[in-house]
Amino acid sequence: MDTLSLNKGEKRDLVFIDTPDLDLHVLQAEDSVLRLFVLDFHSANNILHIDHKAPRCTTEIYHLAFLHGADSVSTHTRMHHEHGEGISRQLIKFVLDDTSKGNFLGELVIKPDAQQVDAQQTNRNILLSKTATMRTRPQLEIYADDVKASHGATTGQLDESALFYMQQRCIAPDDARKMLLRAFIMDIVEKFPESEDLSVTIDRIIEQGQ
Amino acid sequence: MQTTLLEIRNLHASIAGKQILKGINLTIHAGEVHAIMGPNGAGKSTLSAVLTGNPQYEVTEGSVLLNGKDLLAMPPEQRAREGVFLSFQYPVEIPGVSMVNFLRTAMNEKRKYAGLEPLSATAFLKLMREKRALLNMADKLNNRSVNEGFSGGEKKKNEILQMAMLQPCLSILDETDSGLDIDALRVVAEGVNRLKSPDNASIVITHYQRLLDYIIPDFVHVLADGQIVKTGDKSLALELEKNGYAEFE
Repeated sequence: MDTLSLNKGEKRDLVFIDTPDLDLHVLQAEDSVLRLFVLDFHSANNILHIDHKAPRCTTEIYHLAFLHGADSVSTHTRMHHEHGEGISRQLIKFVLDDTSKGNFLGELVIKPDAQQVDAQQTNRNILLSKTATMRTRPQLEIYADDVKASHGATTGQLDESALFYMQQRCIAPDDARKMLLRAFIMDIVEKFPESEDLSVTIDRIIEQGQ
Repeated sequence: MQTTLLEIRNLHASIAGKQILKGINLTIHAGEVHAIMGPNGAGKSTLSAVLTGNPQYEVTEGSVLLNGKDLLAMPPEQRAREGVFLSFQYPVEIPGVSMVNFLRTAMNEKRKYAGLEPLSATAFLKLMREKRALLNMADKLNNRSVNEGFSGGEKKKNEILQMAMLQPCLSILDETDSGLDIDALRVVAEGVNRLKSPDNASIVITHYQRLLDYIIPDFVHVLADGQIVKTGDKSLALELEKNGYAEFE
């Protein structure tokens, strides 16, 4: 496990691309801002544990897993708000092809002293084949009463009606699928620092899905 | 001599095993506007879905020729590239795909099929500005995702804009008037009228006569229980408005 502390007021971006076993524990001091980017194209186990050790911390987690073959990614976020006025945003997406597997456990804890916390957790997943599987478990534990906390999880296929609409506008089904997949993942990819450098990788991974 | 654009012969189609179209015959020449009216459940939207190749429907009998080519043998995107355009009753929202990217891809696919060079980004945007001006539409929607968060009226106008850009030979307007207020209806109808030419034709599917005050049809067909049971000129639409569909149900 890697433990890392953010000082008072410190802003830090952490980027992990295709890191097979990520076991990270971050302790945040007052007014610190952590942005965590995790991109997986192959099997991985991720534990992302963040503790707000002081008031007014901000954490943003952007995580995308795009898998082919029999790869599997398991991601466990542990977002612990121990102090007040903290903000957390988690956007987590899985795209699963072939017989790949995704597993997301989103633990969000707001301790009794953590008043006026604003926490969001969003998990969206697309299954590209009938044999891919996704398991998602949001787990919210809220012990403070003056907080905003929301979570949402959806798993589905590419929108058939959108595919037909695009075909009716001259676009071949393969190209339509690629456009829809790109649209699905870009809101995460665009958040990455130096996201332009990722575009070749993203193109390749979308192409591979065909 | 009139050029035959579309020839529908004895068309039968079903969805999930239920027979909806039960022998449609219809010939459309270049330059004509055909209105298809009828009670709910008559098969109006099924006809548009079958002509455009919606995979939910199965053609069980009959043939459709577009400019002499077997339309039913083509996948949906090829029908579109051949010039069949459907203005959807419920245009689909595509989050994350911008209008500009979507429509430019569509245009260039059609151009490629016709053996033309792709349009540059600049040429495309210029054309889009021209068409928007022609149709009296604001260009604030360009950078938004396709149909996402559009009002009902904006969605229908956006369909007409796409029609103007793609310049189809056969436009099918499926219940374009549903959910439109009178101002939006007028914009949509004027757009359709401006795009009318001796080389193209339209099928206007509607439940109400209202739209036909603005788009004057050459022929009005009544579709009931999967067949065209009556054909007339625009006065038939007025008659239907007065008497309803009771005699066909």
